[in-house]
Amino acid sequence: MYKSMMHSPELLKGTLQTILLKVLKDHGRMYGYEITLRVKELSGERILLTEGALYPTLHKLEAEGMLKTEVITIGKRVRKYYSLTSDGRSLVKARVNELIAFIKTMGNVLQVELN
Amino acid sequence: MNRLTNDHIECIIKDLNYRGIVADGIQEELIDHICSGVETEMNQGKKFIDAYHHILKSFGNTAGLQETQQEIIKSENTKSRNMLKNYFTIAMRNLRKHSFYTFINVAGLSVGLAICFIILLFVINETSYDKHFENGNRIYRTKSEIKFGGNHYNMLYAPPILASALVAEYPEVEAAIRFRERGSYLVKRNVDNIKEDNVIWTDKDFFKVFSIPVIAGNAETALAEPNTIAISEKIAEKYFPGENALGQTLILDNKMNMKITAIYKTLPQNTHFHFDILISMEGLDEAKRLVWYSNNFQTYLLLRSGADVKQLESKFTELVVKHAMPQMAELLGGDFTMEKFIAAGNKMEYTLQPLSDIHLKSSLQGEFEPNFDIAYVYLFVAIALFILIIACINFMNLSTARSANRAKEVGIRKVMGSFRSHLMRQFLTESILLTFISILLAVLFAYLLLPLFNQLSLRTLSIPFQQPMLYGIIILAALTVGLLAGIYPSFFLSAFKPVSVLKGHVALGMKSGLIRSALVVFQFTVSIFLVIGTLAVNRQLNYIQNKKLGFNKDQVIVIEDAYALGSNRLPFKDEIMRSGKMENATMTGFLPVSGSWRSDNPWWVEGRDPAVQENMVSIQNWRVDYDYIKTMGMKIKEGRDFSREFPSDSTAVLINEASIKRFNFTGDIIGSKIATFGDSGNGEPDRNKLITLTVIGIVEDFHFESLKENVSPLMMELNEKSEGPISFRFQSQNTQEVIQLTEAKWKELAPGQPFTYYFLDDRFGSMYAAETRLGNIFGIFSVLAVLIACLGLFALTAFTAEQRMKEIGIRKVLGASISSIVMLLSKELGKLVLIAFVLAAPLAWYGIDWWLKDYNYKTEIGVGLYLMAGLVAFLIALATMSFQSFKAASSDPVKSLRSE
Repeated sequence: MYKSMMHSPELLKGTLQTILLKVLKDHGRMYGYEITLRVKELSGERILLTEGALYPTLHKLEAEGMLKTEVITIGKRVRKYYSLTSDGRSLVKARVNELIAFIKTMGNVLQVELN
Repeated sequence: MNRLTNDHIECIIKDLNYRGIVADGIQEELIDHICSGVETEMNQGKKFIDAYHHILKSFGNTAGLQETQQEIIKSENTKSRNMLKNYFTIAMRNLRKHSFYTFINVAGLSVGLAICFIILLFVINETSYDKHFENGNRIYRTKSEIKFGGNHYNMLYAPPILASALVAEYPEVEAAIRFRERGSYLVKRNVDNIKEDNVIWTDKDFFKVFSIPVIAGNAETALAEPNTIAISEKIAEKYFPGENALGQTLILDNKMNMKITAIYKTLPQNTHFHFDILISMEGLDEAKRLVWYSNNFQTYLLLRSGADVKQLESKFTELVVKHAMPQMAELLGGDFTMEKFIAAGNKMEYTLQPLSDIHLKSSLQGEFEPNFDIAYVYLFVAIALFILIIACINFMNLSTARSANRAKEVGIRKVMGSFRSHLMRQFLTESILLTFISILLAVLFAYLLLPLFNQLSLRTLSIPFQQPMLYGIIILAALTVGLLAGIYPSFFLSAFKPVSVLKGHVALGMKSGLIRSALVVFQFTVSIFLVIGTLAVNRQLNYIQNKKLGFNKDQVIVIEDAYALGSNRLPFKDEIMRSGKMENATMTGFLPVSGSWRSDNPWWVEGRDPAVQENMVSIQNWRVDYDYIKTMGMKIKEGRDFSREFPSDSTAVLINEASIKRFNFTGDIIGSKIATFGDSGNGEPDRNKLITLTVIGIVEDFHFESLKENVSPLMMELNEKSEGPISFRFQSQNTQEVIQLTEAKWKELAPGQPFTYYFLDDRFGSMYAAETRLGNIFGIFSVLAVLIACLGLFALTAFTAEQRMKEIGIRKVLGASISSIVMLLSKELGKLVLIAFVLAAPLAWYGIDWWLKDYNYKTEIGVGLYLMAGLVAFLIALATMSFQSFKAASSDPVKSLRSE
């Protein structure tokens, strides 16, 4: 894992919600740390979600009614699981399609071939 | 896989707390995240402490952690619904926590708002009078100002000919109608009579001037014929339930058969008259007289649109010169001219009064119903505003006073990252919430209080629940009052500097006392003003009720409408007298209470020249019977009463003291003769027929009108054939027995006629009904104002005591007595009440002076009354304060000093 290989947080900013929604759709119930691990794994360690971006976004999606939460106590620790609400689930597809379209557009704009 | 031990977790929690991660719901989540991260790294072989620091570093250490926390809070709060919910929850929590202050705030505000609400309804009603007439802005009525023969009249009564003269002379006048009141009528369809009060004679253009919807019949021709009437829907339903009343007949006073030619919609409450039966003026001979010197008709005009009212009025002088003066000259004879008439200080002027001025700005002789006074509308509005302000002041006072207790909260919130705007919003939410609760309660209070208020004000107000406007107003009022009351505290509280607040420099509570003191002074000034006002009004009413009137108003029953007895009038009187329950009886409508018969004529001392205006005395000419003086309990000062033993008494007269000065007799008064012109038979004076009466006695002056008026000249002559009411003076204390006795006899001698009666003292009291009502309403308002002000004072003292808990403790330890501490706590606020008194007293003096100027006979409002009001306010304030002060002073100093 090399720093130079990681994507800059600036680029990630607009796609964070989509990433979270899609990951939660594919894996069901997850807690915050688990999500960072999963994203790290899926991106081949090129995307490291910072806590400072992850949690505010999760809370925002929750406040908007896209996510629901479940709290489980493990000993002295309290673990908060996130999962999609029905509203959230219907949002995922739209968001993913939007992002794919965006990537294609970027390809055209930058004049590069996307495989 | 390694798991963190509890010690590790404990350590992480403490460390995170130390770094300021404390927010609900965020703390746990971050702890779990960090723990998971540390576990993962420990599994890779790191030591706990290294792993922990590595993870912290990935958050960006303390700064990063806090930023994350703040970001999370922000992201949650971007939705305004959540934000409001948060404000709301915290507001509720705060209100519950300080339930004592909440109670005082809500109680004060809701009572204040309820009063405002009622007064608002009342003012809306008072200003809505006569607005429902389509041509309302073109309707005027004439006012007459006549000054002649020592009398000065400001009245609505005009000559019968004025209406037609105005239409004939001035094109601006589209239509003119007259009204003629003839008192109440007995109305029957077949057998039984019912007494109707709202009966009036009027001209056929009535419906042209007043756009009252006519349900049946033709409005244009309805009153064109004699012996026709138009009736209100109410009357139609009363006499012809379920039938068509149009074309039917009603019999008035047992003799007039009246055909119903129109049925109109019953007049709404906010009209200055409520006539139920309109009789066509065509059938009234009096209305056809072409005279200018007899004033009996209220005259209303409908002007053409665009008519210049001022210009029209200015032409009226010319009208008087052209038509009225020749008649006057003929009547008075001699060398009468307009110039001389005016030079002698006389006046005959007609002016116009717009319809919109009637209900609030008119109080003249000849009003159909008592009107209201605009000054009282202003007074009520002022009282409403004052009470509202007092209630809002309580709110502000308490909120800022409590600021010291909330200062820590503000400090913490600011440290936690609250912006000032958040705090202001929080405080405003609290105050709006409180106002909203108060307003709902206020509407409830108003609903409960309205019946009482209606009773006092003689109105039929109701809360218009079916109007959506009401709810809009409620919400708007909650927002406005909430903002008004909350804006100062919210600015004040949110401006605290967290550092100084958290360090303990929170003396702000009492330091900003100047504004608070001013507010308390204001509250008590208003309260004391109202208390003095109430006491003064009541004292004047008491004075009137107990003043020596010159006759005895008690123990007299008056049987009305005795004319319905027909020829049984005398037998009725005699048979009741024979029962032995009555002392005396008299038969006349000339009674010493206003609303009775009155008759005014010019008389002069026989032998003097009636053409010389100074010789003429305009005097009340009452026709009474032998027992009148005895029944009413007047005193003969000189000479003798009428007596059946003197047949010559048919030409005798009794005069009152007031008339002596005016007649300016030479020589002995008893035995002097006075004269006037006789009647020519058609109601007009006949210059060739002199009537002469001999003075046989002088009656002590007695008040026969409201005490607002002076006693005017009055004479009494004999007339035994009066159709007026019959009055009995009774001995029995049992009024029920008296009523039963007279009613039984009435039913026997006048079957089918309604029996109506009143007691003279009741009628006398009703002369001051308006004043009594004013006194009552004033009393209630002032009690409430004082109550609200005291609520505020109560809470303020409680707060001061709480603030000075430690000080009190130390003082007690050093040997202060309870009384000295009560004194200490009450002194400051007591001083404020004293200042309020000094401010209120001159204001009240001015107000009372203004109110009493209408009375010719007024009570002395001495310094005592002011001092009493001041003392009452002071004692109430003291009692309010000392309860709390005493509680604080008698508490155990150990408790207050132990902590810290």
